[in-house]
Amino acid sequence: MNLERIATDFAGIKMKTPVMGASGTFGFGLEYKDFLDLKQVGAIISKGITPLPRAGNEGVRIAETPSGMLNCIGLENPGIDKFLSDILPKVRQEAPDTTFIANFSANTVEDYGVMAAKLDVDGIDGIEVNISCPNVKEGGIVFGTDPKAAAAVTESVKKHTKKSVIVKLSPNVTDITVMAKAVEDAGADAVALINTLTGMVIDTRTWKPLLGNITGGLSGPAVKPIALRMVWQVANTVKIPILGLGGICTGQDAVEFLLAGATAVAVGAENFVHPDAVVTVAEGIDNYLENRGLSHVSQLVGQLKA
Amino acid sequence: MLVENGLVCSNGILSDDVRFMIIQAPKVVEIAQPGQFVMVKKEEGSTFLRRPFGIADVNKAEGKLLLIYRVAGKGTKELANMEPSSEISVEGPLGGGFKFAEAELAGEGKTLLIGGGVGIAPMIYTARHLAEANPENKPVFLMGVRNADELFWQEYLQDFTDSIEVTTDDGSAGRKGFAIDALPDILAKYDIKHIKICGPTIMMEGLAKMAMEKGIECQVSLEKRMACGIGVCLGCTFEGKQSGKRWKICHDGPVFPAEEVFA
Repeated sequence: MNLERIATDFAGIKMKTPVMGASGTFGFGLEYKDFLDLKQVGAIISKGITPLPRAGNEGVRIAETPSGMLNCIGLENPGIDKFLSDILPKVRQEAPDTTFIANFSANTVEDYGVMAAKLDVDGIDGIEVNISCPNVKEGGIVFGTDPKAAAAVTESVKKHTKKSVIVKLSPNVTDITVMAKAVEDAGADAVALINTLTGMVIDTRTWKPLLGNITGGLSGPAVKPIALRMVWQVANTVKIPILGLGGICTGQDAVEFLLAGATAVAVGAENFVHPDAVVTVAEGIDNYLENRGLSHVSQLVGQLKA
Repeated sequence: MLVENGLVCSNGILSDDVRFMIIQAPKVVEIAQPGQFVMVKKEEGSTFLRRPFGIADVNKAEGKLLLIYRVAGKGTKELANMEPSSEISVEGPLGGGFKFAEAELAGEGKTLLIGGGVGIAPMIYTARHLAEANPENKPVFLMGVRNADELFWQEYLQDFTDSIEVTTDDGSAGRKGFAIDALPDILAKYDIKHIKICGPTIMMEGLAKMAMEKGIECQVSLEKRMACGIGVCLGCTFEGKQSGKRWKICHDGPVFPAEEVFA
């Protein structure tokens, strides 16, 4: 990989490649060290952190669906205190050179601010505000579907941090550009899209939902065309950089998101299938640039001819 | 843990819906321990996620591993139709496997291995491990299967066990009933010091509780839907009964002390 060609500055967050491990699919990063070189990971985006530890949802949490999967984990995580005292120091020790972005959510606008303040520490390169978890009432979705509430959360977070703030948007809205514009106007440094699409599976033998939470979030290649369309729409609406994600499995997939207007991309569900995907996608982008005679990945961003 | 491009050596039928597959995957096999599992995928196949399977047995000299699985859905149907020499991606070995006490490996007391249905699969390698450590004192095996059509397991197990007790749901072979019905007799007959179980949760619960009542060290191998197999997706977590800790079946297990699961 030509690291000069793909080094990316995303809303002030410096990354070796434009490819991140998406929240909830990349653990805290170290889980992947047997499978890839963490130095070649653009950024680790942490599993969603909440003010208190969460055990997550009961029952079946994972289901395969055509070209993808549903999950209803329910934000299981050890809570911010344990994250700061135990996990972050370990990540910084074992992956000192990898950009680390903390993803978090909270129950109230005020608590989003409290979380942002707690995460405003060394070792964290940026924060991703989750207002879009579809599986938990307290996962921010109430903020992620109302532009005024999304703006209020963004303002509350911005007030309490010096870090670059990425707001992760839900596709489960009528018009995602309205949400993107609302958080941009409220001071967000970047937006990430898309979180998962709400879906369900029914077991016809039992007439029961397969998932313990009844509904779950759809991810994987099945959602890619939708994600791409939304990135393109948002790119035509806001000026802040976009982190594009949704079904990216290959370098070609990533190039599509970059052309649509994303400055960086994240690999999600594909990490479960090919645990080196964050690196192979970056290599794929680099190969594409080389074959096209391009000197830097930024030459692709938003260059869709439409 | 690693991902290896394996090769299907053979793929065959054991019963109505149970199949076996032998895969050449020397790097994974070299470090595989009894009770660990792999996640496999036919690249460019019809499913998105990998599928987890307990390692039924290994041939370290030849770099081969054996999987025995029930055809249950699209993924396993596709596996069952794979031709010899086709490529299959193998991720593993995953999880930690069964723990063996030093005295157990030194041949003190007797180990009872219990398998139910396709949960018998990982117990083959486990039986081999114990038998190779102690050819003079092999484990006792208790298997619970549906009916006489599923007695093929005995062929895999006979070299590594001192005796095999069978229960069938319909009484078409062995004792009619469930594995738990046969447990008291086995405990009366042998000086069982360790029990290791893999099977349906409901089966393991009864057996493990009886073991705990008798004060016999007991380990159970768990299964739950998972996407990643490496402790990331959190599809397979549960709260330990004794410790209160949140465990990941794939990463912290799949084998746990019975007290942590069924206390």
